[in-house]
Amino acid sequence: MLNKDLTVVNKLGLHARAAAKLVALASNFASEITIQKENRKINGKSIMGVMMLAASQGTVVNIEIEGEDEEIAMNEIETLFNNRFDEAE
Amino acid sequence: MALIVSGIGVSRGIAIGNVHLLNRGAPEVFERKLQDHEVKAEIERFQSAVDDAADQLRGIRDTIPEDAPKDVAAFIDSHLLMVKDSMLSKVPIEIIQEQQCNAEWALKQQRDKLEAVFEQMEDDYLRTRLNDIEHVINLVQQILKDQQFTMQMKLQPLKGSIIVADDLTPADTVVMQNQNIAGFITELGGPLSHTAILARSLGIPAVVGIQSARTLLQQEEQLVLDGSSGMVLAGMDEATIKEYRHIQREQKDAQRKLGSLKNISAKTKDGKRISLQANIELSEDISALKKSGADGVGLYRTEFLYIDRETPADEAEQLNAYRKIIRVLKGKPLTIRTLDLGAEKEFDPEYQGPLTQNPALGLRAIRRSLKDTDLFKQQLRAILRASASGPVRILLPMITSDIELAQSLTILDQAKSELEEEGKEFDADIPVGAMIEVPAAAISANIFAKKLDFLSIGTNDLIQYTLAIDRIDDQVNYLYDPLHPSVLKLINLTLQAGRRADIPVAMCGEMAGDTRYTRLLLGLGLQEFSAHPSNLLEIKQIINKSKLAYLEKQAKKILSTTVPNKIGPMVDALNE
Repeated sequence: MLNKDLTVVNKLGLHARAAAKLVALASNFASEITIQKENRKINGKSIMGVMMLAASQGTVVNIEIEGEDEEIAMNEIETLFNNRFDEAE
Repeated sequence: MALIVSGIGVSRGIAIGNVHLLNRGAPEVFERKLQDHEVKAEIERFQSAVDDAADQLRGIRDTIPEDAPKDVAAFIDSHLLMVKDSMLSKVPIEIIQEQQCNAEWALKQQRDKLEAVFEQMEDDYLRTRLNDIEHVINLVQQILKDQQFTMQMKLQPLKGSIIVADDLTPADTVVMQNQNIAGFITELGGPLSHTAILARSLGIPAVVGIQSARTLLQQEEQLVLDGSSGMVLAGMDEATIKEYRHIQREQKDAQRKLGSLKNISAKTKDGKRISLQANIELSEDISALKKSGADGVGLYRTEFLYIDRETPADEAEQLNAYRKIIRVLKGKPLTIRTLDLGAEKEFDPEYQGPLTQNPALGLRAIRRSLKDTDLFKQQLRAILRASASGPVRILLPMITSDIELAQSLTILDQAKSELEEEGKEFDADIPVGAMIEVPAAAISANIFAKKLDFLSIGTNDLIQYTLAIDRIDDQVNYLYDPLHPSVLKLINLTLQAGRRADIPVAMCGEMAGDTRYTRLLLGLGLQEFSAHPSNLLEIKQIINKSKLAYLEKQAKKILSTTVPNKIGPMVDALNE
């Protein structure tokens, strides 16, 4: 099981389109992916779940991944966060 | 009797038309208890409503015109993801089973739960997204109640009418656009709502946030809607309507007039030909480029080849991207800016480093390229190879020192000899220029002008660095001032250096695209403006009405004024 804290750096936070990107990416993997912010824990493959985290710019979320492809999944999710969900700011 | 109501204008333009009221919104939902044997059928009814909703959204997405902005499809796509999300498609089924209640009631309970979570959110933008979830849930509720408004709308003659509704979904907006409605008014929504964003990109005049619009306005009544001011007029006399028709015509004429400038070149009244070039980035900009009548591309940003993706584009993919624009330009020059990555937008963890305190002053643009010369050379090779298909210029970002320039030119020479050995074609005399966006470069522009084929002033960074303010920092961005005497002096120094060395100087920052400054810049001697394609025709209109000799005289006065707060009024006086 892998576990990592990631910071939301894009300006608009995890809004619908960013959430859609994250969910689309997460759904490519067999592993179970959960995302936790404070005491709310959600399924990383659910767009509503991700939107409900209300993760605005600067929020730290904890990503937990368990399964056969956990390493590559963590890697790619981290890249998506660091690339600001491919948004300009 | 005349009635004036005002809301928030979210999409420009005047619409005159008759009201078409849409009375709907969240359908009323009641609880009904199920017998054991009814549960299975109820679950199936719910599932098929969810499937229908997804089908409807998919069908609407397919009607989006190809040249519509990417946003339009993205909104519908995120709604599709929501419909299929287990929180909407599965949780209500569990509720139906546990509580033995009807599908509508189960969905309503789940909706209330989601709403409670969103309402606690502090971030405005994220809280507004509850709208999207409600749109999707209402769509499913309507299908369950067999009230399929969105689809019914397709069957109604709406041409020329002004839709008045409590709220509209992005899907509604797409359907309405296909039916040529004149405009719309909603009770809910704000400038950030997806429907507002869509109205802007589809060019439908719209006003939102008029509470109880559906009780204030009557079916078939004639309205005037002004999407800029947010004003809605009802019950006007003929004279008023006539006046608005006049304004509407004037606005349309102004648009048409701009359009008719497309095939005329930009030339001042005293005969000086000015080059108008486009700044482009993504493939969506190509259609705007075609409509703009640009003399070429003055700034092609290439970051999208590196960061909007999993791995950077290789040489072949880059070459393809460049050739695509060259084909559109049909012999007009394409200026390609090499990678302008910064510490804050980086794809390679090796260069990410700790988030620095001052990314604007860190390892970015040409500095980054000179640290990773393999990547830089690969891009230069792609640009060189593209130059075999049409005129191409290379633009180096953020050049500050002579050494950086020398290093860049050495790597360019290496790329050229590699291609020569491989027998690949390229333009051996490809023009090379530098962005002048660091004050040091502007002050020493004469040094760079001697060694380069052209310069291009990047005002956004030049202003930020000169005035030492971060534009995205809300506490200081009021200090961002293109008319600060020091900024004008640096622009003037750069233009002078270009004239002395007899090389062209362009400007590709936002200042070049802002019509407030067009005449000032002409007066300072700028002969190449590069701006977003949608600004070019307006700039051309101003240039074609300007007298250069007069502007040159006035610009001198502005440069030498000793009272900085007079500069603004002096610049505005040029535009009168």
